[in-house]
Amino acid sequence: MDTEAQDMQVTIVAISSSQLNHILSSNQLNHILSSSQLNHILSSSQLNHILSSRQINHMLSSNLIKHMLSLQEPIKAQTSGGYPSANYNSQTNSWNQGSYASYGHQYPNYSAESNMAYSAQNAPAAPLQYQPDYKQQWTDYYSQTEVTCAPGTENLSSTSASNLVSPLPAVASGYSALSSQHLPSTAPSSWRPEPGLSELSSVQPSAAINNVQEGYWKHGGQGLQNYHVSSAQSNFQKPLDSNPIPGSFQDQRKPEVPQRPIVQYSASHQVAQTYQSSPQTAIPFDSGRVSKMQIPTNPRISSNLPVSLPKNDNAAIGGVTKPAYISVSLPKTNENASSHVAADSAFKPGMLPKSLRGYVERALARCKDDRQMAACQDVLKEVITKASTDGTLCTLDWDTEPLFPLPNTNAINNDTLNNSIPPSSPMKNRRSPSRRTKSRWEPLPEEKPVDKQASFTPNSVKYSGGIQNHERDKQFPTGQPENKDNKFSHLKFYISNQKETNKAVFRPAKRQHIGDGRSGSNNGDSSSDSDKEQSLTAYYAGAITLADSPEERKRRESRSKRFEKTHGNRAAYNPTRTKNVGAGNLYTRRASASVLANSNSSSDGASRAVEDIDWDSLTVKGTCQEIEKRYLRLTSAPDPATVRPEEVLEKALLLVQDSQKNYLYKCDQLKSIRQDLTVQRIRNELTVKVYETHARLAIEVGDLSEINQCQSQLQTLYAEGIKGCHMEFSAYNLLCVILHSNNNRDLLSAMSRLSIEARKDAAVKHALAVRAAVTSGNYVSFFRLYKIAPNLNTCLMDLYIEKMRYAALKCITRSYRPTLPVSYVAQVLGFPSAEVSDEKDTGGLEECTEWLKAHGACLATDNTGEMMLDAKASMASLFMPEPDDAVAHGDASLAVNDFLTRSLS
Amino acid sequence: MASYMSMGEAHRRITEYLNRFADVVSYQDGTSLKHLLSLSSESSSFLALADALNLFQDANRLIRQADKYSQYAEIVAPLFRAMQSYRVGHLAESYQAFEKSANAFIQEFRNWESAWALEALYVVVYEIRVLAERADRELASNGKTPEKLKAAGSFLMKVFGVLAGKGPKRVGALYVTCQLFKVYFKLGTVHLCRSVIRSIETARIFDFEEFPVRDKVTYMYYTGRLEVLNENFSAADHKLSYALTHCDPQSEANIRMILKYLVPVKLSIGILPKRSLLEKYNLIEYNDIVLAMKRGDLRLLRQALEEHEDRFLRSGVYLVLEKLELQVYQRLVKKIYIIQKQKDPSKAHQIKLEVIVKALKWLEMEMDLDEVECIMSILIYKNLVKGYFAHKSKVAVLSKQDPFPKLNGKPINS
Repeated sequence: MDTEAQDMQVTIVAISSSQLNHILSSNQLNHILSSSQLNHILSSSQLNHILSSRQINHMLSSNLIKHMLSLQEPIKAQTSGGYPSANYNSQTNSWNQGSYASYGHQYPNYSAESNMAYSAQNAPAAPLQYQPDYKQQWTDYYSQTEVTCAPGTENLSSTSASNLVSPLPAVASGYSALSSQHLPSTAPSSWRPEPGLSELSSVQPSAAINNVQEGYWKHGGQGLQNYHVSSAQSNFQKPLDSNPIPGSFQDQRKPEVPQRPIVQYSASHQVAQTYQSSPQTAIPFDSGRVSKMQIPTNPRISSNLPVSLPKNDNAAIGGVTKPAYISVSLPKTNENASSHVAADSAFKPGMLPKSLRGYVERALARCKDDRQMAACQDVLKEVITKASTDGTLCTLDWDTEPLFPLPNTNAINNDTLNNSIPPSSPMKNRRSPSRRTKSRWEPLPEEKPVDKQASFTPNSVKYSGGIQNHERDKQFPTGQPENKDNKFSHLKFYISNQKETNKAVFRPAKRQHIGDGRSGSNNGDSSSDSDKEQSLTAYYAGAITLADSPEERKRRESRSKRFEKTHGNRAAYNPTRTKNVGAGNLYTRRASASVLANSNSSSDGASRAVEDIDWDSLTVKGTCQEIEKRYLRLTSAPDPATVRPEEVLEKALLLVQDSQKNYLYKCDQLKSIRQDLTVQRIRNELTVKVYETHARLAIEVGDLSEINQCQSQLQTLYAEGIKGCHMEFSAYNLLCVILHSNNNRDLLSAMSRLSIEARKDAAVKHALAVRAAVTSGNYVSFFRLYKIAPNLNTCLMDLYIEKMRYAALKCITRSYRPTLPVSYVAQVLGFPSAEVSDEKDTGGLEECTEWLKAHGACLATDNTGEMMLDAKASMASLFMPEPDDAVAHGDASLAVNDFLTRSLS
Repeated sequence: MASYMSMGEAHRRITEYLNRFADVVSYQDGTSLKHLLSLSSESSSFLALADALNLFQDANRLIRQADKYSQYAEIVAPLFRAMQSYRVGHLAESYQAFEKSANAFIQEFRNWESAWALEALYVVVYEIRVLAERADRELASNGKTPEKLKAAGSFLMKVFGVLAGKGPKRVGALYVTCQLFKVYFKLGTVHLCRSVIRSIETARIFDFEEFPVRDKVTYMYYTGRLEVLNENFSAADHKLSYALTHCDPQSEANIRMILKYLVPVKLSIGILPKRSLLEKYNLIEYNDIVLAMKRGDLRLLRQALEEHEDRFLRSGVYLVLEKLELQVYQRLVKKIYIIQKQKDPSKAHQIKLEVIVKALKWLEMEMDLDEVECIMSILIYKNLVKGYFAHKSKVAVLSKQDPFPKLNGKPINS
């Protein structure tokens, strides 16, 4: 959590600073900026719409090409960035500082999760296999990030050559966020021939969505374009004329990146060939690629210098790398979107009045369907433009401003179908591309890559126009001519949005992954996002019976209002929406929570310190009656509908205690119980009981991280005077300190904290004796204590046995001469049943012999036939073998894969 | 006195203070300034001023009256508030205000080229820490979370940042460091010391010899204590010895504090103090331990440890003292060896396990053969006894040459 928060902050800081630069350097008026932001908001609010699979398919077939083309446009825009070099620098810098570090974290996590989620839905078995590889690849990429930066690119290059669609990939790269996001999910399929087409098909929807989204976003950009007469235009035009040929792309970075998406597309069309071909080519490519890649890398490095490099390919690469996360989030587009919005808002507070955002959301919340939404956006745009031109944008009290009447939506063309789709996905797109893309792309302005894209622009315009007819019509009746402008606006748009969003993207992903896991069983055949969405909704709302009940709805409403009060920028609850209400609400709430978080962490004027938040008002009263609940790490304010009240939690605890299932199940359940307790701020004997139960289970299996978590909680709980098995856990605590950290300071403080009664307690006494044995290295006493350990002290001592034995063996070989019987070693080193060695119980002896051999001891049989340890010879040959079954949680039998397969079945 | 003070008198006192403050700053008179800032000195003039402020209430108006005062309003206004709260015993509020004032002060301090105000800064830093400690005590007694000392810690870090530069002010950095140590030791967050230590010891701007002796001694004392915690005895010995030799011989309390850690460190490297030293500095808790080491009396050692367990645990030397056990065993075995040698020199180097067990039994330490064998094995392993152990015959065979090597100021091998 900490790291997450930190990362988040870093991102935000980076973003804001870069944005500042951006603003300054671009010389544009504030009002332009604000208008672009508005657009952004508008589009983001549409996220709530669920995509229907049908629409997606439709889009895919009819619009795919167009889409692709249109996608390219954004790229262009970004590349063309008319920004002064200085601006670029600042951005890259911030990116490097902030994001690099965070990437490392995110990636590993991400890959694992995404894969899991993915697999659950589509092809449970196959994905699992991929996981390791996939992960590895990603991690590799990331570790190298600075140099290569483009994980996806390697493969892509190959594909671009082979694919007809090659231009498209380029587009994707532009959206780096989009493409990158997809990568994780789609990537496995494209990389691996094995998965088979079936998987591909499942992948497709997401890809399609991305495209759509992109188109959508462009729209937003276009709207903006009107306002700017950008210097960038000249740049753009050049490119247009110069290189219409997609083929040339290969050299350039961008094209390569996008290719992934391409693969997906082809798949969706049921073009099996492309798919298969790509994997094959891709693999060989990697090696070849590498060399190419590096070239781009250098430019990037140099890009820090004010000079804009002609070879900006790198930028595209950067974009690619990132996307990885997004794939995870695909199923839950809305959520992402909302979080994105949140991030956005946090980021902008300075420029746009928060209340305005609230206003916009309120306005959009009324819309019943996409058409209305689009129409509303137009009206909104007008309103806001007007406000900004007459200078009332910041002075007007948007909270009280009356909403305009809903526009008539009859005049909508067929494209609206598409509209519904884009809104949700666009958000995703933005996110990941954010920083990376930015840094890379901006410097590019005059590059060739642009040219190629330029050739496509006309199409893209059309396409986008189709999607958001209203907006476009009003603002640019002639879509094509204005393309250039659009690009420019895009740039800005992206910059502002993308940077921030990175972080936000992540959290949702986690959720989804679990959600997917669940829904996967039901929706194995789900091929569209909407399905996934629904299943998710089912997971959240369905499992929770109350989710959609009227009272609950009311409660939510009031809750969201509360957020509105505190922040003034979020009020998206829409009672009129029918089908999606449940999910939509959730998302909104989450979004508002993340707004909260963001606004806190951001350094902008409006920020409030975390301490200033009135946590009391945020404390949740749970209503969920379900006893079992999976643990999901909260990424936003908790929803009372998913939180169980105390009575239910008590039952849940009993359920877990009586359960015969394995530790991972219990751990999961207990964590969710703990979470519910925490969010409701319940601290009483039940809480203690829960933590004690969990700690005991964790001790039994040696799950150190959980032990530590529970222990530290228990300590504060006991300190508050809540009753429990204080002594037992004081002993555990001592043992933990001794056995694991072996930190004198902790040990001293743990010991000095013991009360006089505690010292008289048998378990504590035992623990203290163990400590003494460990510090003095007295192995005899240690293994004697091991045999008489009360409670679970044995389990904790287990974790130290190996170390103790090895130290003892070193000591023995140093001090004994010439030999000593193995039976004696077995006895003093506590090998089982060795104490009855008089009867020659060979069980412990054999085990001891094995252990000695494994640690390099020299054994010999003397003339009486007894196995002897040759002390002198062993002295030099001792070694600590690598634990062959090392697993993070200490028990190989609980390996995660194993658990997953079991729980899925 | 307060009750008799007239309004006019109060007004006079306040303006007098303001005048002095402004004058002292303009003359760059650090010594006088430090007296004006010292809260906890509780001098009569300070108390009178605080009373005057409480009577007059609206001191801000006076500050705003003249430019001469108002340029320091940021410092003086919260300082007045701190004084007022301090006088009526609201220490947490007083701290809050004082920190504000101190913040403004270091802001000014930053702008002063020379280090004339270093003395005053010391006072501010000291006051901050002391006030925070007292405020925390007050908060804790009211059932609130004591957090002021933590805040003081971060404030001091800020001050450290102001001083850690190339200019003449850098000599003040060690003082702040020492105050930080005090804060961190009190808070139990000694791991935070590391960053400051690193910058003191590695930054090129600092020359350790350049710092005032007082600060050097304090610094060595605290870092020595840290080394004790890490059981890094050589380094601890070096640092604490430095502190001891440079410490003002008159300040016995400080010497005692140093010895409290230095004695266990010296013991663990085999150097025993004279009884007179322990008595002179009232460190008699170590008496029995020293005695036990001289006699090889394990029982006495354990008794001494048990008797003063709390004290040793709190000061953090418990684990160090506990480790002396091995030396006590060594002494015991050596005594057996000497006795055997007197009886029969030819067999003296063979010590039967049974004999040791018997000796321990005589000390009322019930240990069986296995356990004693283990201890002998550890003694040999740690090179406290030279020789080997023959399991078959249960005999420890000692080297004929120097069977009990002295530590001679070196820590036990581990």
